[in-house]
Amino acid sequence: MSEIKPSEVTTVDGGEEKDWAAAKAFFDNLKTNKPRPVSSFTQVFVLSSSVSLTDFLVLNTIINLICLMPFPSQPKPRFAVTIAVSSRTLFNMVAERKIYEEEGVEKYVAHQVEHESEPLKPGAAFPFVQALMNVNSRLRELYPDSEELFDIVLMTNNHAQVGVRLINSINHYDLTIERFCMTGGKSPIGYLKAYMTNLYLSKDSEKVTEAIEEGIAAATMFMPETENELSDTQLRVAFDGDAVLFSDESEIIVKQHGLDTFFEHEKEFENKPLAQGPLKCFLEALGKLQRKFYAKNERLNCPIRTFLVTARSAASSGARVLKTLRSWGLEIDEALFLAGAPKGPLLQKIKPHIFFDDQMFHIEGAQELGTISAHVPYGIGQKYHRGKLIEQPAKKE
Amino acid sequence: MVSTIQNTDVKQKDADLAVVVAVTTRAVFESADDDGGDVYGVGVAFPLLQALHKVNERLLEESPAESLLFDVILITTDDEQQQQCSRITGSTRHYGLEVSRFCFSSQEDFTESLLKNNVQLFLTTDRNEALRASQNGVLSALLDQQLASCPSEQLRVMISGDAVLRPDTDPVPAGQKGAQSFSTQLGQMRQKFGIFNSPLSIVLVTLHGGRESCGDALRTLRSRGVSVDEAHCLAGAPRGPILSVLRSHFLLCDVVSCLEE
Repeated sequence: MSEIKPSEVTTVDGGEEKDWAAAKAFFDNLKTNKPRPVSSFTQVFVLSSSVSLTDFLVLNTIINLICLMPFPSQPKPRFAVTIAVSSRTLFNMVAERKIYEEEGVEKYVAHQVEHESEPLKPGAAFPFVQALMNVNSRLRELYPDSEELFDIVLMTNNHAQVGVRLINSINHYDLTIERFCMTGGKSPIGYLKAYMTNLYLSKDSEKVTEAIEEGIAAATMFMPETENELSDTQLRVAFDGDAVLFSDESEIIVKQHGLDTFFEHEKEFENKPLAQGPLKCFLEALGKLQRKFYAKNERLNCPIRTFLVTARSAASSGARVLKTLRSWGLEIDEALFLAGAPKGPLLQKIKPHIFFDDQMFHIEGAQELGTISAHVPYGIGQKYHRGKLIEQPAKKE
Repeated sequence: MVSTIQNTDVKQKDADLAVVVAVTTRAVFESADDDGGDVYGVGVAFPLLQALHKVNERLLEESPAESLLFDVILITTDDEQQQQCSRITGSTRHYGLEVSRFCFSSQEDFTESLLKNNVQLFLTTDRNEALRASQNGVLSALLDQQLASCPSEQLRVMISGDAVLRPDTDPVPAGQKGAQSFSTQLGQMRQKFGIFNSPLSIVLVTLHGGRESCGDALRTLRSRGVSVDEAHCLAGAPRGPILSVLRSHFLLCDVVSCLEE
């Protein structure tokens, strides 16, 4: 599974440091917010006072210069918690996708270019991204010089010409996304690794599966049918337990030997930690940022909250899960044991910005009741649908 | 002493319309394990030459009378190579490389050779040679060792987004003009192919700037008729890991500082 990045500075080659120095010099060390658009600001200024043409030009130049260095420098990938989102998870591109599938890539790109100035509507990962940005603001307040922040990277297979519309849309919503890879059809996996990605969100389950196989936490996002109102002050992330935070070893026992065997097994091995699952490292990364708030006495006001939402029951199989987390040195804020009850209604109350589960059955249940869900295609759960083994077509050799 | 020999095995390109690319023999042929035989070993720029050839092949497939092609010439840049005339031409024939001319010059006068042959892009593994050529008004790009592992079926040209953004100064410096016209020609070649399965891929990379720089670069290039395939915005992230995934053959940049980085 993907390792957490080392936090102490290891020896770097001169090239990396030069990049960093050059970037800092380029951006200047302005820690202010995004600039206002030049034209409207100067228009207002001109309208509000009698100002000569030369004054206007000087002012415009100054504002232009400020606008060239509009944002705090981006954190270095090895310190940041890097979240890679695809264009279809960040924005709603359902209509455009239809054009791609029905009319081909050339028509699709032409359509996007034609509608370049029209911002796209928000997608499934949009609220999650906004919540990440909010956490960053809080972190910057407490630790102005730290690079331990969320770094959001747009990772898309789209052709660069579509990129202009994507950039315009990001501008429209004022999202702090400064890094992106528009691969023009090539696989994103190499780039995900190059950015030391902590979490990859996509609509394409094949890419997500490939990422998980390469040890990168990843999930396929689904838009809910209705939308719950989400917190704008706290990032709330919900995880399933087995085959998401933990390996699917117990899941296998349930599927192959039934629940009774499962309960016996879990009681017997209560003190043996479960193996890691694909999203364990992401929870770890969240925990690391949470502790930064605790260190500044902000535990009650922490803008990150994590939830475990598991079908296990507290009485019989829950203990092993909590002990495993403890053995890993990880905390989870709320652990909810459903003992097999549906997850949808509970998630509706929790209102997470994202909910990770390995079983489509739970994803669908959550979606129906307004929760943004992300499917983790890992483990034995992929071979079953609603408890029944899916017939796999014989693989061609 | 500068001399040029035509390669009679290869059809000569249109002098006005072809895009002349000069590559140093040192980059193309490997002389390290020199056993003094007739034929040189394969050098770091081999996949690059094959990729250039592939582009020409596909351009001619689209239109058999096409004149906007790459015109590849080999150039020696030191006295030692200058002596190896027959070995160089022999090795070129041996590998069947699509090289139309050989320019034999020494360290002092190779830039003269570049100008005489109307070279639009000079490719070398030697940073000093690239700087000298650039200072004499010839667009140059540095080839590095990872070139050996680049694809040979697709030419991947990287354009620096940070450099495209430079405000147009008046008069436009010779170096910038060269890069602009070369990228325009690349854009014209690129247009002859569809979005997928193109033998030429133009990759925009913004190393220091953020999305605003990248967006501006995309629009500027588009206004020059260059439709970029891939865009990568690093906003200061370490470039090594990303560039090694990108596997581009060379970086097109109109400022000398690119060569100094």
